[in-house]
Amino acid sequence: MSEPLLRVRDLVVEFPTRRGILTAVDKVSFDIAPGEVLGVVGESGAGKSLTGAAIINLLEPPGRIGGGEVILQGQRIDNLPMEKVRKIRGSRIGMVFQDPLTSLNPLYTIGRQLTETIQTHMKLSDADALARAIELLTEVGIPAPETRIESYPHQFSGGMRQRVVIALALAANPVLVIADEPTTALDVSVQAQIIRLLKKMCAEHGAAVMLITHDMGVIAETADRVAVMYAGRIAEIGPVREVIKHARHPYTEGLMASIPSLGHDSERLQQIEGSMPRLTAIPDGCAFHPRCPKAFDRCMKERPELIDAETTRAACWLYDKAEAAT
Amino acid sequence: MSQPELLEVQGLTRYFDVSKPLLNRVVERVPRQYLRAVHDVNFSIGAGETFALVGESGCGKSTVARMVAGLIPPSKGAIRFDGIDRAAARSSAEERKLRRRFQMIFQDPFASLNPRWRVDRIISEPIRAFGLAADAQEIEHRVGELLKLVKLDPADGAKFPHEFSGGQRQRIAIARALSNRPEFIICDEPTSALDVSVQAQILNLMRDLQDEFGLTYLFISHNLAVVRHMATRIGVMYLGKLCEVAPSHELFSDPRHPYTRMLLDAVPDIDMTGRARTPVKGEVPNPINPPSGCAFHPRCPHAFDRCRSEEPLLEIVGERHGASCHAVAEGRI
Repeated sequence: MSEPLLRVRDLVVEFPTRRGILTAVDKVSFDIAPGEVLGVVGESGAGKSLTGAAIINLLEPPGRIGGGEVILQGQRIDNLPMEKVRKIRGSRIGMVFQDPLTSLNPLYTIGRQLTETIQTHMKLSDADALARAIELLTEVGIPAPETRIESYPHQFSGGMRQRVVIALALAANPVLVIADEPTTALDVSVQAQIIRLLKKMCAEHGAAVMLITHDMGVIAETADRVAVMYAGRIAEIGPVREVIKHARHPYTEGLMASIPSLGHDSERLQQIEGSMPRLTAIPDGCAFHPRCPKAFDRCMKERPELIDAETTRAACWLYDKAEAAT
Repeated sequence: MSQPELLEVQGLTRYFDVSKPLLNRVVERVPRQYLRAVHDVNFSIGAGETFALVGESGCGKSTVARMVAGLIPPSKGAIRFDGIDRAAARSSAEERKLRRRFQMIFQDPFASLNPRWRVDRIISEPIRAFGLAADAQEIEHRVGELLKLVKLDPADGAKFPHEFSGGQRQRIAIARALSNRPEFIICDEPTSALDVSVQAQILNLMRDLQDEFGLTYLFISHNLAVVRHMATRIGVMYLGKLCEVAPSHELFSDPRHPYTRMLLDAVPDIDMTGRARTPVKGEVPNPINPPSGCAFHPRCPHAFDRCRSEEPLLEIVGERHGASCHAVAEGRI
């Protein structure tokens, strides 16, 4: 593989509380190649959004980075002072959040928000910035952008607002876009439009995407590779087709089987017993072992790291060479 | 199917008054304004069936559920349960008897359980309200039974809702819904607040309970895959109107209404079959000012003049299969 665009190594996100430190993201490592779409899936509380927020240093206090490195294009960015991080946000890393109503300022016209972002990161005159804003709105499919640019966010529908947010994220030609549940607040028919648009826009602007979602369907359609998170760790990471069709980790396997599908009939859905552990009570060894049908002694004591499991990498002792030998 | 119809809904219509305050209306000379949330909806549900209503947000599916549950009265139309007209039975002993045969499960298990009540009190409330148990001991026994039924520990009755996860809370809500032994349960998006692995547990539980007690469900959801898994028959709603009703397998194998086709096309392809998806155009229009004629015509690839002027009616296109579309009725698609 070519030099990765983003390298995350042993990232830890923790919350100090009165009863001790809670580790919400526990030594997560992954790479994103230039132009690649990496999907990050997991159930609520798995730490997927915190991972995204930690990369751009947007953790809500008291949450903090407890260790590890984030390297963007060879430059370490997790320990930079706030001023420098702000320069990176928007210019090199763009962001798309779940709720387009809260990520746009309701008091400013979208034109002003776009030109402000453009002029913060690029040296352009007012007229040029405005022209670029209109060009971006045209690209994201806003009808009559010359007049709509004077509108306020509340005058747009949910799908149109998310289009504006995508235009904002790409305004300064970032190399990476972090999209956190970009379609969750939208209806299915609009969701498909936005996913298509996000993918097209990022491909045209040459930006890589870190797509955080709980929806496997969205990942299946969009991502090149996917990381499945469970209880703050990556359970499995690999090419999207492999992970979806031939999941190696028992959690991924259970997760895939529990999703009702349009393609085939089944009397019962396969279910994973129990629920994800709370942060205060993450079990020893593999965090998934109490729910795992294939758990054995070692899973209760030792924590597995990511191990090569044929075409993917899975954090599961089943794929340990030493285990296979015995 | 030869099942007797348990629930019959005829010409169900609901308007909401969204007018400005009186002074504004007088000063600005604007008339009252109404939002047509549900318009002329007809369907029937046989005993033991699961009838699902699907549609995007704002299509009126939850409003239908709330009218059927009796939480809000319809503006027009009739709801008949087991042959008894709900409007006629209102505020009488009849109504009380009818109420006992209904229950409802809501979307958000964080909002639907009183955080200051212990679980046993939450679950036993319907038993007390309907006077279904003789003494406290019987209530306690019944609550323990219900908790076991939804795969929780009878000892959990002494806890408060915040001590449970989302999935467990939804189980408590289901136990509460079953406590007065209803025949008919209205489920309004029962799993959309839950994670997929937990969703599978709840859906399986709901099906097991249906088999065990012969329950009839009215199932509201926006998720087509969930609906396909649960429902025997499905109604698709768009802007307050029912645009297609069909047996579950038929709706997925042979969808007739262009909106149904569009919805099916919009579902992400998790099986990665490489199925080509036609991109959907536009968004749901504002229900305060719906398009003339067929409400779907501005987004419909098959729309022609008649669609813009004349509202289509639900017409039979197959066995228990109806669609409200001029193009389908004329045999164009």
